[in-house]
Amino acid sequence: SQACDSWGIFTFLCAALCNLPALPALNCSEELGAGQSIQQTYDLTRYLEHQLRTLAGTYLNYLGPPFNEPDFNPPRMARAERVPSATVDLDLWRGLTDNARLAANYRAYSRLLCYLRVLDGQVGTAELRHRLSHFCASLQGLVLSIGGVMSSLGYPLPAGPVGPPGPPGASAAPNDFLKKMDDFWLLKELQTWLWRSAKDFNRLKKKVPPAVVTLRLEARGF
Amino acid sequence: MNVAVFRSMAPVFPKMASPVRSACCVVLAAVVVVYAQRHSQQDSHVQYERVGADVTMKCGSMDWDAAVTWTANGTDIDESHLNGSYLILKNVGLSQSGQYFCYEGSSWHLKYQTNLRVGTPPKEPVLMCRSNNYPKGFYCSWHLPTPTYIPNFFNISVIHGTKDMVCEKDSPPKNRCHIKYLQLFSTVKYKVTLTVTNALGKNFTTLTFDEFAIVKPDPPESVVAKPVPNNPRRLEVSWQNPSSWPDPESFPLKFFLRYRPLILDQWQHVELSDGTSHTITDAYAGKEYIIQVAAKDSDIGTWSDWSVAVHATPWTEEPKHLTTEAQITETTSVSTSSFMAPPTTKICDKGAMVGSGAMAVCWTAGLVVAAYSVLFI
Repeated sequence: SQACDSWGIFTFLCAALCNLPALPALNCSEELGAGQSIQQTYDLTRYLEHQLRTLAGTYLNYLGPPFNEPDFNPPRMARAERVPSATVDLDLWRGLTDNARLAANYRAYSRLLCYLRVLDGQVGTAELRHRLSHFCASLQGLVLSIGGVMSSLGYPLPAGPVGPPGPPGASAAPNDFLKKMDDFWLLKELQTWLWRSAKDFNRLKKKVPPAVVTLRLEARGF
Repeated sequence: MNVAVFRSMAPVFPKMASPVRSACCVVLAAVVVVYAQRHSQQDSHVQYERVGADVTMKCGSMDWDAAVTWTANGTDIDESHLNGSYLILKNVGLSQSGQYFCYEGSSWHLKYQTNLRVGTPPKEPVLMCRSNNYPKGFYCSWHLPTPTYIPNFFNISVIHGTKDMVCEKDSPPKNRCHIKYLQLFSTVKYKVTLTVTNALGKNFTTLTFDEFAIVKPDPPESVVAKPVPNNPRRLEVSWQNPSSWPDPESFPLKFFLRYRPLILDQWQHVELSDGTSHTITDAYAGKEYIIQVAAKDSDIGTWSDWSVAVHATPWTEEPKHLTTEAQITETTSVSTSSFMAPPTTKICDKGAMVGSGAMAVCWTAGLVVAAYSVLFI
């Protein structure tokens, strides 16, 4: 996992360097070609998924029981529907056009990023704040990377609300427990989206001729 | 009485015409069947009892003080086990399962019959769920950790959020059922409950899991390892995706290959993010290798079990016989000295080739000469 970490950090740095200034980001991905940026975006989702595991563990412990129990399986309430869901009918998912597939990812992560930023502002401990802001920065990189892929393929970026939908007053949870539930579902959806994106980008990789990166790790002994 | 009738008819039979003979046989068969049915209607049923329990059997409607004889599997039971006309079996064991009959003392009329089955209530069953055909669905299989010796009934329920899903049972093997995913990338966990019931009790177990957590492909198929001609240290390995994996295009697999010479215990590992072949380039010349491959979805789930092991030996120039350390060294020295410049071989020829020590000196000398020649050319 150490090797994974270094690889992930390296890939993220590459993606971050390409994407930091918004306009040159488009130039950067156009130069590399759509195939390379799809691979990059794929690698970013893997890196983020790895980071989220640690972040979610820490955050759920901060929320306390029952949220940090492995079997915790609460019913999905109407409130949670505001967070964009990765769940989709199998045939529908298969039939998505490249544009629709990318747009769904772009919209989802933009919204999730907003919610995460709100969380960042409210969280108690310094360690959590540090982790959250690091994660938000990485997630921003992912959104920009997806935007880059869309532009290089000639698709328009989805327009939409920048902040969480609805009037600010209505989105606040009526009590502490429900607020924690909101946080729990946010992290769950984020995790599921990252798993889904890996599959989305796998499909896109096949469609757009990529520069395939073969990862070879040789380890002697066991 | 029926037997007597039959005996009296025997000498008559050969003289009768065949249709009449068949008719007689049919009538006899019918009589036998009715006779058996009449007896089975006498208070007979199956009785299930726990191992170690004390069992009291009553002889049907007979009074306590009636004279009766009990038999178990054809053997008479000693009177010490009787309390009046009741049969007392203390601390029953598995060997006491069988047919028990109770006959009225003098007339030998069968008054009661029971099939005693001694067993145990079910222990907590073992349940396993796995998706080897992601994203199509998953299957669950189960078994009891210890036998109960009596018939058991299994009931499985699958709940996804608020929805009840139907797990279709496989015909062979019957302790397995499969489910099709209706939705993909679900955040809601699946809850599978298996209940096992028998005449002596019931038990259950539950599994709760995320869609992603149970993904485990079957091992790769058709693993083939071949030597590479004129390459004594190479082995070419190739394999195929498991046939149960429905969509390797959208859900690519990555692979883990392990290999070792039969004579060593330590495995060497290679992880491959795609492709279904690999060339091993560091095999020991002339040694037989054992090779296995495992598969995993490239992003989620766990590694498959190891594939069937294949054996292969790298290409050798001569027929394979005892290969010693000195011979290996000689083979490598032969191939490396051919690349050396002529002056170097003269230095090597001066000394005697007595093993790896002399080899090292030659090699170093060769390097030094090569370095000087580079500097001065």
